[in-house]
Amino acid sequence: MGNKQTIFTQEQLDAYQDCTFFTRKEILRLFYRFRDLAPQLVPLDYTNKPAVTLPYELIGSMPELKDNPFRQRIAEVFSEHGDGNMTLDDFLDMFSVLSEMAPRDLKAYYAFKIYDFNNDDYICKSDLEKTVNKLTRNELTPEEISLVCEKVIYEADVDNDGKLSLEDFQHMIVRAPDFL
Amino acid sequence: FCFFHGFYAEEDLVANLASMSASDSIKAIRKLPETITKKREIRNKVLKERKGAQPSCCTQCLQGAAVSFRRFRNTLSEYFQPLWIWHKTLKVVGAEFGTSVLSYFVFLKWLLNFNIFSFLINFGFITIPQFLAAEPNNLSFTGLELFTGAGYFQQTVLYYGFYTNATISKIENGPSYNMQLAYIFTVGIYFVICFLILLFSMAKSFYRNFVNPQTHSGKASKLLCTWDFNITNEKAVKLKQKNLRTQIKEDLADVDKEVLNFSVMERVARFGFHLLAWVASVGAAVVACTGVYFLSINNLELFMKGHRNDLESQAAMLVLAVIVSLLNTFIPFFFSWVGHMEKFQTPGQHIYITIARNIILKISIVGILCYYWLNIVAASESQCWETLVGQDIYRLVLVDFIFCLLGSFFGEFLRRIIGTTVCVSLGLPEFDIGRNVLDLIYAQTLTWIGILFSPLLPGIQMIAFFIVFFVKKVSLMKNCQPPRKVWRTAQMTTSFMLLLFCPSFLGVLCVIGVTVWRLKPSERCGPFRGLSSMYAAVSEWIQILASYTDSKWVVWIYRNLITSTLFFLILSSIALIVTYLYWQIIQGRKTMIKHLQKQMMN
Repeated sequence: MGNKQTIFTQEQLDAYQDCTFFTRKEILRLFYRFRDLAPQLVPLDYTNKPAVTLPYELIGSMPELKDNPFRQRIAEVFSEHGDGNMTLDDFLDMFSVLSEMAPRDLKAYYAFKIYDFNNDDYICKSDLEKTVNKLTRNELTPEEISLVCEKVIYEADVDNDGKLSLEDFQHMIVRAPDFL
Repeated sequence: FCFFHGFYAEEDLVANLASMSASDSIKAIRKLPETITKKREIRNKVLKERKGAQPSCCTQCLQGAAVSFRRFRNTLSEYFQPLWIWHKTLKVVGAEFGTSVLSYFVFLKWLLNFNIFSFLINFGFITIPQFLAAEPNNLSFTGLELFTGAGYFQQTVLYYGFYTNATISKIENGPSYNMQLAYIFTVGIYFVICFLILLFSMAKSFYRNFVNPQTHSGKASKLLCTWDFNITNEKAVKLKQKNLRTQIKEDLADVDKEVLNFSVMERVARFGFHLLAWVASVGAAVVACTGVYFLSINNLELFMKGHRNDLESQAAMLVLAVIVSLLNTFIPFFFSWVGHMEKFQTPGQHIYITIARNIILKISIVGILCYYWLNIVAASESQCWETLVGQDIYRLVLVDFIFCLLGSFFGEFLRRIIGTTVCVSLGLPEFDIGRNVLDLIYAQTLTWIGILFSPLLPGIQMIAFFIVFFVKKVSLMKNCQPPRKVWRTAQMTTSFMLLLFCPSFLGVLCVIGVTVWRLKPSERCGPFRGLSSMYAAVSEWIQILASYTDSKWVVWIYRNLITSTLFFLILSSIALIVTYLYWQIIQGRKTMIKHLQKQMMN
């Protein structure tokens, strides 16, 4: 590959390397993945920072995300306007946080945002119900779902306000070594 | 973790970052929970502030140099990436089967590193000098040696017996190389380094995974934290969802089951049943050990009496290794069956108890073999007992490797064929993580025991592990389905490391200790011939050093620190006192956590 690439300026690449967990080669590889989703929309020259946004349907069809039950929430959390349509920056951001080099605290923060369906900075009972549905493919009865959500809130809610704040969630993550 | 509301918090953040060193500030920027656009702004502000604060051209040059050095280091790490062997394979396995199966392969790769390290230092410090002083080998080579390890290989660097006890020097009055000291110090330092690596890995694992052990059965964490975001295979995702659903249903059902009480009679009956199962398992292990013991004594007699290079008697030597591997393969099936009969309260108990029984079996077999080698073979009248032990271990390692491949073939390939064509209700096989990891630990234990008697054995085990990795991976991809049972990866990984350290490595240290300190090396072969024990080489060396005035400090350290019992007594007392104090501090902190939680709830 060498140093001869014309997609980004050296300054842009340095900035990406400093802001994400990726190396130069990985950033270029991710750019090509982004471009492969819609070659006619994405130009090969990013030096003048074009504002290209790919719709959610294309992002959600990527093999890494297509079977993940939370793909819509993931795309919404990382997209600029919360609608699932992503620019290249959002795309790199998403993969940087999901990569294995990101620390657990960062992943916990974004996991909290993913599970917070109504974006109110708290995971309330309705958010939990939607999460349980997604995790079990809608095959539990409503009573069972309700019971599970009550138990979860009872266990994890430390400040006793009936919903999980970011601190409650992080406290729980610290005690769960299986979190990925 | 900082949340910044407003402009002033951001200014503080930028000032904070500008005051850190360049690499620290980059690490901090990467960890910020913001979008890339925002991070880029912050980064540019930090750079501007740093540039503005130090206008001198010297520091500017330094900064420019730091930037280009960082760029160079990044490019360099890109070029080294192809050397991260199996990085891509591990990712694919994790994606298709989840992190539980991945943990087996990660463990295998970790064990491989131990063997590579051992092979490199043994080859470099012991074998290469031996090549310079080698005696010619006039035995003939037939293909059978590859399996039996005897015959031609007896007079090669593969075994202890071939190594010379002389001080090797190629040039007259030039630098000399003391083979005795080299042998004992290489093996000793390798074990010390292994001990430290195992200790630190285990401590790190415990620290991460057992922060608060009393809450490990929390349902909240089960729900929100066990989703394996690594999985990209559709079938694996569906299975994982089904799994979670079953688990949640079971947990809800458990709420009602808690009130279930067994009557006294039923409790006695259950207890009796469990006791019977344990007696059967331990009995099977004892019978296996007795069989192995008598077979090996028989083997030794045949060996001492018969012709050594006869084809038949050489093949007969393989019988012991084959029997041991057969026992290791088939008795666990018996344990599984007993476990199924026993109706446990939870499936997790079933898994743990079966693994515990397998461990007992393997420990007893290795234990009886070590007893046989150290007490019977060492006291026998053979010419070179260390080479005999080395050959035994070589055969055991080789046959275990072959059985591992066969097990993969029968257990997974044939089982898949049966499960899809003949008896469709069985379905595809699952990858049995517990059993496979125990096999790895067993193989590594044998290799560690064998290092003293056969210095190149880690090289052979290295090649074996390479092949096992590929075979298991191909078999997994083609034949197996993702696991249906819940497997708490982080806890099990810690348990495997603990198993590797506690019975396995410490046992090996005991065996090596007994060999080096108590047993008399053979008279006519090996680097320690003629000495009263292998350790005598070190004590003699210290005696020689005592006559030189330059090295009196080495002698002082040896006499007063390493061999002095008073020193170790003082060290142990200090360690015990510190442990007791830390324990009390932990108790105090636990009480404080409880008080704080109560305060928060009110």
